[in-house]
Amino acid sequence: MEENFIFAGFGGQGVLLAGKILANAFMLEGKNVTWYPCYGAEMRGGTVNCEIVVSNDEVSSVHKKDTDFAIVLNQLSFDKFISRVKAGGTIIANSSLVKILKPRSDIKYIFAPITEMAQKLGEIKTANIVALGVLASACHQLTTESLHKALEYVLPAHRKYLLPLNLEALKSGFDALAVAG
Amino acid sequence: MAKELIKGNYAIAQAALNAGCECYFGYPITPQTEIGEYLSLKMPEAGLAYVSAESEIAAINMVLGACSTGARAMTTSSSCAVSLMQEALSYAASDELPVVLVNVMRAGPGLGSIYPAQGDYYQSVYGGGNGDYRMVVYAPSNVQECIELTYKTFYTAHKYRTPVILLADGVLGQMMEPAEFTQYSYPPVDNSSWALCGANGRAGKKICSYGPDEAKHIQHVKDLFEKYKLIAEREVMYEEYMTDDADFLLVGFGSIARHLKASVKVLRTKGIKAGMFRPITLFPFPEKRLNELADRCREVMTVEMNMGQMYTDVRLAVNGKTKTTLLNLRPAGEWMSVEEITEAVEKSTEKIYAGI
Amino acid sequence: MLVFETPKSFKKDFKYSFCKGCDHGVAIRLIAELIDEMGLKGNTILTTSIGCSVTMYDFLDLDCIEAPHGRAMAVATGVKRAKPDKFVLTYQGDGDFASIGLAESMHAALRGENVTAICINNTTYGMTGGQLGPTTLMGQVTTTSPNGRNREYYGYPIRIAEQIALCDGTAYSARVSLDTVPNIKKAKAAIKKAFEVQLKGLGTGFVEILSTCPTNWNMTPEQAHERVRNEMMKVFPPGIYKDVTEE
Repeated sequence: MEENFIFAGFGGQGVLLAGKILANAFMLEGKNVTWYPCYGAEMRGGTVNCEIVVSNDEVSSVHKKDTDFAIVLNQLSFDKFISRVKAGGTIIANSSLVKILKPRSDIKYIFAPITEMAQKLGEIKTANIVALGVLASACHQLTTESLHKALEYVLPAHRKYLLPLNLEALKSGFDALAVAG
Repeated sequence: MAKELIKGNYAIAQAALNAGCECYFGYPITPQTEIGEYLSLKMPEAGLAYVSAESEIAAINMVLGACSTGARAMTTSSSCAVSLMQEALSYAASDELPVVLVNVMRAGPGLGSIYPAQGDYYQSVYGGGNGDYRMVVYAPSNVQECIELTYKTFYTAHKYRTPVILLADGVLGQMMEPAEFTQYSYPPVDNSSWALCGANGRAGKKICSYGPDEAKHIQHVKDLFEKYKLIAEREVMYEEYMTDDADFLLVGFGSIARHLKASVKVLRTKGIKAGMFRPITLFPFPEKRLNELADRCREVMTVEMNMGQMYTDVRLAVNGKTKTTLLNLRPAGEWMSVEEITEAVEKSTEKIYAGI
Repeated sequence: MLVFETPKSFKKDFKYSFCKGCDHGVAIRLIAELIDEMGLKGNTILTTSIGCSVTMYDFLDLDCIEAPHGRAMAVATGVKRAKPDKFVLTYQGDGDFASIGLAESMHAALRGENVTAICINNTTYGMTGGQLGPTTLMGQVTTTSPNGRNREYYGYPIRIAEQIALCDGTAYSARVSLDTVPNIKKAKAAIKKAFEVQLKGLGTGFVEILSTCPTNWNMTPEQAHERVRNEMMKVFPPGIYKDVTEE
């Protein structure tokens, strides 16, 4: 079984890092995984994005036409990637910056005020981790435990003090749906 | 060592250090710039030489200079900038210098763009420099192979005293996947007979390609080709996937092989006996094995992200034994998808089974 | 008493292939004498270039690599970075050093590579038969400037020693000539200085040598040296343009 994820937002929202943490989480679970970014000139305008493909078998392709999950942190990314979500797939959108509209009826929508949640935690930069938490609540093969491990693995020694804050962000994202109700 | 999530470019850079690279000379170009960035930090720390060259021409010539002393030296670049290096590569082949060049391919011709492509097959395999020479070319298909084949590139270059290219692409350079830095385990190569170190108590040694003596020059070129023949006998590498009973063969090199394998799996569920053959050494090309496989195939389809470059070598290898086709929906950019490849094979097999 | 001997850095029974009156022979001899006197033979790696200068490795008994045209300073950079304890020397013509290889030459000097470069300036491309080069004088007739060098078609010659002196990594830059015995002595002193700055790790050492090309100038050796004095020195004044040991 193979599943893929697109993380997108504008530069500075940490989508490439979020993707790396996600890929590490899958790797630490012993799965095959790839991470592939948009790169070069594209990074300087529009949106930044990366794609993660996880598979029990060898990953068939690092960059696919459509996706099971799109995690979009700004309006531009929502507009760009909504058409790439597979029928039956899920789009997770940051409703702090994305209008709550549902232009397609064949996909699932999760709107969460990700930027505001990060601000509530006192650090807007944790928005990407909050988004990962939201994703964990929506994706069966992803657990907050493996994301927790990945965070520990990815944070360099001199940034380890940020771990509690990031774990809080992860939990806040994971609980968002339950709270929203 | 456990697997870690590694970007292709970093894998190549660290593998070069593991292989004992002492000198790096380079100039930035997307999509391989991370290699130089990484080494600009690591090499000075280790007391090794790192130079930000003023151009790719300068960079490859610095590699020539360093290699002339027997040092393990490397430059890395991409497509249009590798074009600038062709003169020096021709010299390196004639001078028999162990030059290591990594080309992380982008789109061409001309400036093209930064998105991935496989358009430098001809440039690498048939050479862009003047005169009769060949270069060994390794084409990795995943991040783990970026590591293993970087090791192999250094070893082969020094073992045979010949320039070797590691031919990667933008997908491979930019992607991350779990991989492991295995030990560099090739034996040391004795270069004392030719490496320059100063004529101390012995006659001076000369590394040059100038051949004013016609007979000697002709012999030199013949000797080079004897060496290439030896390399062809000993160093061919390829990967086969489900070829045992395959009657439809997909042939591709580099990172698109992942798509070919996935496509073979899908085709097998549809009752099509597909298999994949992936040359890992583009020179020497695994022509003998491909020719054998062609015996029982109805069709050999080359799938590459260019206008049909390796296709030339595939046709020469198959040598008319069976039908050869080319699938190259795009010469650059988005890799042909598993669906596109599968569909093309299905269409082609419909014709085969209908006897068209 | 020994009055004259061939420097030991020459190959036994070597025979120059240069034209009569060409200054390459004198320049190479000065280099060989200094390598002997300074005890550098066993530690030297020489980088030759393309042009008449390439044949230097046929005369000197040194370890040597031949650089592609113009790339001697890049190749020398590679040699020196790989083996910093070696004495690294380039020997190039003006076309090699200052036309096709200007970028490599200047950037090596800007990086302050600890190498020594010797450049022979004879105002023409000698090996290919006397074409207009980067140092061809205004008005000079060559096979590719049959009506003489003018601004409209060809622009101006480059003053190499002055340009290299402007590079911050240059430790020593001088222009010398070989037209008289006193000038030959001065030339040797300059080359020695350019060797010493490398050995002291002070940066790039550079000497431009005004030289003759009687064959392509269509002159006798004597006339050629007169041209060096009367025409070349006016445009390319001999002198020391930078010497960090004097600062």
